[in-house]
Amino acid sequence: MKLHKHCQGNHPDTLSGLSRRDFLQVGMIGTMGFSLSHMLRLQAAEMPKVEAYAAMADSVIHIYLPGGMAQHESWDPKPFASPDYRGPYTPIKTSIPGEYVGEKFVNIAKIMNKLTIVRSMTHGEAAHERGTHNMFTGYRPSPAIKFPSYGSIISHEQGSRNNLPPYVVVPSQTIPDQGTGYMSSAFGPFALGSDPADKGFAVRDLQGPKDVTTQRFDRRRSMLAAVDEHFRTTEKSDAIGAMDSFQQAAYGLVSSAKAREAFDLSKESDKVRDEYGRNTAGQRFLLARRLVEAGVRMVSVTFGGWDHHSNIKSAFDGQAPNFDQAFARLITDLQDRGMLKRTLVLVSSEFGRTPKINGTNGRDHWPRVFSVAMAGGGMKEGYIHGASDALGGEPDRDAVGPEDLAKTMYRVLGINAEKRIVSDGGRPVDIVNGGRIMTDWLA
Amino acid sequence: MPARVLSFVFTSTLLALAAFASAAPVSFEEVRVILEGKCLECHNPDKTKGKLLMTSREAFLKGGESGTTLVAGDPVKSELLKRLNLPKDHEDIMPPKGGPLPAAEIDVLRRWVAEGATWTAGVTLVAKNKAKEEALADLKQKLPTLEKLEIFPESINLETKRDFHRLVVFATFKDATTRDVTAFANLRMSDEKVAKFDGYSVHAVADSGKTEVVAELGGQTARAPVAVKDGQKDRAISFRLDVMPVFLRATCNSGGCHGAARGKDGFRLSLFGMDPDGDYIRLTREMIGRRINLAIPEESAMVEKTTGAVPHSGNKLYDADSQYNKAILEWIANGAKDDPADIAKVTGIEVFPKQIVLEGKESTQQITVRATYSDGTDRDVTKLALFMSNNDPVAAISKDGVVKSAERGAAFMLARFNVFSVTAQVVVIPKGLVYERPKTAEVNYIDKAVNERLHRLRIVPSGVCTDEEFVRRVYIDVVGLYPKPEELKAFLEDKRPDKRPLLVEGLLQRKEFTELWVMKWAELLQIRSGINAGNNAPPFYKNALLYYNWLAAEIGKNVPINQIVIDLLSASGGTVSVPAVNYYQGELDRLKISENIAQVFMGMRLQCAQCHNHPFDRWTMNDYYGFNAFFAQIGRKNTDDPQEVIVFNSKGGETQHFLTKKNVKPKFLGGEEPELKPGEDRRRVMAEWLASPRNPFFARNIANLIWAHFVGVGVVDPVDDVRVSNPPSNLELLDELAQHLTDYKYDVRKLVRDITASAAYQRSTKTNDTNAGDKLNFARAQVRRVRAEVLLDAISQITETPNKFQGLPVGARAVQIADGAVSNYFLTTFGRSKRESVASTEVKTDPNLSQALHLMNGDAVNDRIRRGQVVEKMITAGKKDDEIIRELFLRVFGRLPSGVEMKSVTDAIATEPTNRQVVLEDAFWALMNSKEFYFNH
Repeated sequence: MKLHKHCQGNHPDTLSGLSRRDFLQVGMIGTMGFSLSHMLRLQAAEMPKVEAYAAMADSVIHIYLPGGMAQHESWDPKPFASPDYRGPYTPIKTSIPGEYVGEKFVNIAKIMNKLTIVRSMTHGEAAHERGTHNMFTGYRPSPAIKFPSYGSIISHEQGSRNNLPPYVVVPSQTIPDQGTGYMSSAFGPFALGSDPADKGFAVRDLQGPKDVTTQRFDRRRSMLAAVDEHFRTTEKSDAIGAMDSFQQAAYGLVSSAKAREAFDLSKESDKVRDEYGRNTAGQRFLLARRLVEAGVRMVSVTFGGWDHHSNIKSAFDGQAPNFDQAFARLITDLQDRGMLKRTLVLVSSEFGRTPKINGTNGRDHWPRVFSVAMAGGGMKEGYIHGASDALGGEPDRDAVGPEDLAKTMYRVLGINAEKRIVSDGGRPVDIVNGGRIMTDWLA
Repeated sequence: MPARVLSFVFTSTLLALAAFASAAPVSFEEVRVILEGKCLECHNPDKTKGKLLMTSREAFLKGGESGTTLVAGDPVKSELLKRLNLPKDHEDIMPPKGGPLPAAEIDVLRRWVAEGATWTAGVTLVAKNKAKEEALADLKQKLPTLEKLEIFPESINLETKRDFHRLVVFATFKDATTRDVTAFANLRMSDEKVAKFDGYSVHAVADSGKTEVVAELGGQTARAPVAVKDGQKDRAISFRLDVMPVFLRATCNSGGCHGAARGKDGFRLSLFGMDPDGDYIRLTREMIGRRINLAIPEESAMVEKTTGAVPHSGNKLYDADSQYNKAILEWIANGAKDDPADIAKVTGIEVFPKQIVLEGKESTQQITVRATYSDGTDRDVTKLALFMSNNDPVAAISKDGVVKSAERGAAFMLARFNVFSVTAQVVVIPKGLVYERPKTAEVNYIDKAVNERLHRLRIVPSGVCTDEEFVRRVYIDVVGLYPKPEELKAFLEDKRPDKRPLLVEGLLQRKEFTELWVMKWAELLQIRSGINAGNNAPPFYKNALLYYNWLAAEIGKNVPINQIVIDLLSASGGTVSVPAVNYYQGELDRLKISENIAQVFMGMRLQCAQCHNHPFDRWTMNDYYGFNAFFAQIGRKNTDDPQEVIVFNSKGGETQHFLTKKNVKPKFLGGEEPELKPGEDRRRVMAEWLASPRNPFFARNIANLIWAHFVGVGVVDPVDDVRVSNPPSNLELLDELAQHLTDYKYDVRKLVRDITASAAYQRSTKTNDTNAGDKLNFARAQVRRVRAEVLLDAISQITETPNKFQGLPVGARAVQIADGAVSNYFLTTFGRSKRESVASTEVKTDPNLSQALHLMNGDAVNDRIRRGQVVEKMITAGKKDDEIIRELFLRVFGRLPSGVEMKSVTDAIATEPTNRQVVLEDAFWALMNSKEFYFNH
C-alpha cells in the first residue's frame, strides 16, 4: 500500500493490518497448493476493471545498452562544466537550438528534433542486475517475487499478431529480467539464437525440412493431433498448456512465409544494410525494424557493453559511432516508411555514470540521474524532459522514475498499467505499481 | 453534561422509581443478562468504547472517558443511569443503538447500583451479541464431540506489575478441527488474591504466589498454573525492550522507510532494528530537541509524527493513546535513557496455538506470541509482533494476531519479533464436508506422514498408477532413461507380486543411476570450465574434467554423501593433483563461498544477512559472519603450471563483521562456536560439523533434494529456499526422510528404495475433486517435463542415432557431460544448467517457442528419424504396419496405441499405400512431437 507519493517503500498501514505488498514481500511464490483454482476464481471475480486506453502505438523497439551508458558522453553532455566533469569529449550542437549531445552522436544530432529525451531519470539501484531489473520491469527488485519484463506483459495483454511471436529478443535472452517473472513461460520471449550481424545469419528452425512438402506437413500435423489427444485431455499442468501454445505459435510461423521473412535480413538491400552499419548495432536494429513492420509487438535489442569504469574515451570511440549511425538510420527509416508514428523506440540503460571522471579515466555507476531517449509512438518530436544539475549528478527538475517510464510506455501501447495480473499463488499484482503517465511527453 | 439534561434525568429516574418500587433484592444474574446482552458488545476488551470496560466490577468502578460510570450505592451519581435515561434521540443515550432499554431493565440496574452493585466473585462478563449467540449455538452442537480442552500458554509466569499474558482457550474436536473457545469457556482464577483477569489477560495481584487458571467447557476442564514473582514491583522502561519493538511493529525501520540505507526524510534507523546502539544515538544525539523533546515529551517529533499530530510521509501509525505511543512517551518522560549494559536480550519466541484446523469460512482464532529473555523472564508480545500469512486466500491474519479462515487449504502464519520468526500452521476445511478417511495404502513411513497430512486437509489421494506408467516413470527418475520396448514387455509380463520393488532394485545397480546423481551433484558443485571464453583463463577444462572424474569416482564407489562433502570442503592441495580443491577455485569470493555452501548443503539463502538481519528468517549478521569465519583462512598459491593452483590452510586471517568491523569467531550456522586449536583447518572443522547429524539441516536438505527429484516438488520448495517463512509442507515427512537418510549412513540408494516403494510416489496423475489443485501435499503424481539431457538421450536411443559431445566418445550420453560449459543447441534450448550459479533454477524445464520450432523443423527429430532408419529397418525385417506402429508407440510413449490412434496412422497409410515408409516416419515424427513424449507422468 502506498501511503504517500514520495514514499517509495511498501509501507504497511498499521491501522488496517498488513497490506498486500507486504504479503508479497514475505515471499510466497507458489504457496501451499490450491493455487490454480484460486487463481481462476480471482481472475473471474475479483479483478477490478480498469479504464481502457486507445493505443497510440502498435509496437515497441526497446534498445538496451547494458552496463550503464554515461549520460555525459551521450544524451546529457555538460559543455560548460570543467573537464573533469565534462569528460574527454567536446559536446556538439543538435537540430534543437541550444541543446547538445555527445561528440560521437553526429547523426543523432541531426535527428534530435525527432526525439524525446528524458534527462531526469532516477532510481536508487547502483548494482547492474538491480538497475537492469528496474529498467525492464518498472519495479524495484524484490527478494520474494519475480516481476515480468515489459515484453512478457505485452505478450500477456496483447498476444500475437500476423502469426509472429509477440515478443522477440535480439539476439538472445542475455538478461534474466527479459523473462516472464511470475507469469507462465508461455509469455516468454522468442530468442533469435544467433546474431543478425553474423555472416549467413539465419534464425534456426523457422522452416520445415526441405523434403517435407506442405501436404506431408499437414499429414504430420493431423497425426500429431490424433496422438496428442489422449495426453492433452487426461493430463493437466501449466507446462503442458504452455507447450501447446508454443506449438500453435510454431505452426503459425511455419505456415506463413510472410512471418518467416521478417527474420530474413537478406531481403533488405545492401544499401540499407550498409546505411544501418554492417555491425552488431546496425544489423540488430535493422532486424528489429523488420520484425515490428511484420507485426511483432515488442523487440528487445541489446547492444554493446557500456560499463566504462576506465578509459571511457576509447570505449566510446569504439562503439558509440556504430550506435549513432544505426539509431539515427532506424529513426529515419521508420519515418520514411510511415511507421514512426505507430512505433515507439526506447533507448535505455540500467543507470548513468558518476559526474566526475575517476582516477582511471572512466566513470562509475550512478543511478541518481541519467537519461532515456525515445522516438515515435505518440511521443513529442524534439522535446527535452527534465534536467540534471550543472554537473549531471542529481535531477534538477521533473525527476522521472522507472515506474513512470513503464507506465507511460504501456499507456502508449494502450495498456492500462493499473490493471492487475494474478501471479502464481493467486495474488493480484499491478502491472506497474504507482508511477505516472507522463502526459508531457505525448504529442 | 448540560443542566437541562440533568434535570430530565432526575425526573425520569423518579418516575421509574415510582413505577417499579419492589422489595426483593436484585440478583446479579438478572444484571448479568442485561449487561452481557446490551452493553458488553462495546465495552469489552476488544473494543473498550469510551475507554470503559464492563467485564469486571473493578473495571466498571474504574469508569471510562466520561468519569464515574458506577458509584456503588448511589444511582444518581452513576453516569450509567444518567445515560440510560436520556431521551431516545439524544446523542449520548446508551445503548446508542436500540436504546433506551425497557423501563424494567433500567430499574433492575438502578436497584442493583443502589443496593451496592454486588458482583459474584470471579465472574467475568462477556458480550452476548447476536453473532456470538449464533456462534454459541453452533458450538453447542459441536460440543458433544469435544475431545480436548487446552489453555495457552500452558503455564503463566508474571514477573512484574507490568507483566501480563493473554490467554487462549483452545478446543480440539473428534474430527480434528479446532476452535477458539476463549469467549465461551467458563474462565476463572482459583485464587484472586494472587492474580486476576483483565479481559482475557492475566495480571499479578500479589507480590508473589501461585494459583491457577481454570477453564471449563462441555464437561471438560483445563488448568494452567500461574506463578507470580515481584508482582507488585515495577520495571523500568527500556529503550531496547520497550521502544525498539515499537519501531519494528510500526515498520518505522523497514527498508522502504527509515530503515533504508539513506533513511527517509533525513532520519535513519537501522534496518529491522539490528543496531540499537546506533538507533539510540541517532534518536537522541542528532537534531537535539527535535526528535525527542525531554521537556514536553508530547511534542517530540517521534511522537507527533507517528500519532498523526503533524504531517508524516509514512502517515499516522498508531493512536496517541495506544500502548505504542505510551511506551515511547514514558521512555522520553523518564529522560530517554539508554539501557544498562546488562539489559536482558530476547532469546526466543513461541506462538500459541501452533496447529490450528479451522472449519468453514470466517472462523477465527487468536494467536498469541510469548518472548523469552536472557534474564529468565518472559512476556506476552502479541501486540508487538508482526504477523503475516503466507496464503491469504486460505487464511488471513490481522495485525493483532487474529486468524480468519477463507478458502480450503493450508497456510502458515508467521509471527516476527526481535530477530525471531516462528510459524503456526493453519488448515482450513469446508464446513459440513462429507468426508470419510479413505483406506489408503501405507507402505512405509513416507505414506504414514503423507496420509496423515492429507487426512488433516481432507484430501483424498489419487489411485495407483498402472504398470505401464510405473515402468516409464521409474526408468526416467531412477536411471534417466526411457525404457526400451523389450524392457517394458518384460516388466508387464512379470507376474511376481513384488515386481515393482524388484524393478527398482535392478535399476539402482545400473551405472546410469550413478551417472544421473553425478550430474546433479556436478550442477550443485558448479563443475564448469571457462572453455567458452577461449579457455585461457581459469577454470580450465582440464581442472573441470579432473574435478568431475573425482566426483564420479566417489559416487561410483558409493562413498556416502556426508563423506564426499567432508572430503570436498576440507580438501587441500593442487587443483590437478587433488581435484576436490577445485571447489574453492570455481568461486573465489569468500562471502560467496560461504553463501554457496549454506545454499547447496543446507538449502539456505544467507545473502540477506550479509548486510542486515534476515527479515523473514532466523539469520542475523552475527550468524552470517560467524559462518563466514570458517573460510577466512583459505590460502592460494600459483605454480609454474597455470592449471595447478595450490589451495591450503593459511592459518591466518579473520572475518570482520560488516557493521561493527570487529573480528567474528567461527560459529556453526544455527549451532555453537567450536573450540579451535591455533592453526587448525577451520574448513575441516566446519565440514565435519556440516555433514553430520549435529547439523540438522544437512540430512533434511539432502533428503529433500532426493525427494524433489522423484516427486517434482520438494517438501520445502524450492529446495534451496529453506526459511522460517517458507516452511516444509509436511514437517513430519521431512523429518522422517532426514532421519532415515541419517540412519542409512547417508546411502542415497536406500532412500530411493523407500521413496519409489511408497504409495505417494506410485500414485496416478489422474485427479479427483479434492486433489485437483494440490501440488504440495503429494496427493497425486505431478506431470513433469523431462530434463534436457535425459530428453536428448531418449531421442538418441529411440531414433538409434548416437550423440557426439566435446570430450566424449561417440554414443556417450548427454548426462555424462562433465563440463557445464559444454552444450549444444538442443540442450541449451531445453534448459540444461550452465552451472553458473548454485541456484536450483539453473535447470529449466519451461517450454518456449524455440523448443517447439526445433522439434518441428530442427534436426533433433526429423533428421534423426531419417538417419537412424528405424522404420526402414523394420520394413526390411518384414514387419507389418500395425506391428511397426505398436513398436513405435512403445519406443516413444512406453505404451501401446489405442484403437483411435492406430486407426489414424493406418488410415494415413491407406491413402498412400505406395509411400508406406514415409507415412510411418511421419507417424514417428508425430509421436516425438507429442507432449506425452516430453513429460514424465
